[in-house]
Amino acid sequence: MSALRSTPTFAIVFAVAFAVVYLLAVENNWALFTYHPALEEFGLWVEKPKDGPAMYWYGWLATAAIGAFGIAALASWLPGAVTERIGPLWSWLIPSLVMINFAYLLRSFFLR
Amino acid sequence: MIIALLIIHGLLAVALLGAITHQAIGVWLPARPGAQSFVARLRSVSTPSYVTAVIVLFIATAILGGIIYPAYRLNVRIVLEQYELHKANGSFELKEHLVAVGMGMLPAYWYLWRQPLAEQYASSRKILTTILAFIVWWGFLVGHVLNNIRGFEV
Repeated sequence: MSALRSTPTFAIVFAVAFAVVYLLAVENNWALFTYHPALEEFGLWVEKPKDGPAMYWYGWLATAAIGAFGIAALASWLPGAVTERIGPLWSWLIPSLVMINFAYLLRSFFLR
Repeated sequence: MIIALLIIHGLLAVALLGAITHQAIGVWLPARPGAQSFVARLRSVSTPSYVTAVIVLFIATAILGGIIYPAYRLNVRIVLEQYELHKANGSFELKEHLVAVGMGMLPAYWYLWRQPLAEQYASSRKILTTILAFIVWWGFLVGHVLNNIRGFEV
């Protein structure tokens, strides 16, 4: 019963937290690991490019997934009086704002 | 091998595009009872029946995209930079971020579409489905255009 009650909180908070943590991970390069495609090598945390480009996208995803899971799990333990205020609106509003922010951050590609 | 994976990635994307587009149309423009035209049939789909397919296809397409991404990074992006195709390059950068955010929304999407459908979630269900449809369309079109630019020379 408790798990059923916390499902909406977990799902909604996960969507919000994933978007926010992913944005922070990209902006601050908080990659959990780095992939070097030319060498087909993984490295823990952020590594500089070696003999070709370094890919951080997988590491950002891992950071966001673990961070969002932890935040959503914690939110699921909050009292019902608090979680009742976490409506489904947040599950699309915050991710939408994050996506708009990414479009803004990448504007230089489109304005050249 | 990469070419085969790229084709499978494209086919999964087509299936996902069809599923999410049908659902988005069905949720925004439900058919009037008795209408029999092609458009009416398109609008009269059972929208909840697409949820599992959308989630599975979204994840599968993203995983396959992630597998072929290093080939793109090494063989396509460098060419885009050399030819100064900034819009194409930026479109893909945006695609990777939109898909990532979309994956994070999937648990909420699943919850909002859980049967029996909660009436108080109807607006959020519509909007979240539309956002996912936008992400899928953006990803599909950008992938298609980049493939046209670079072809299968991966």
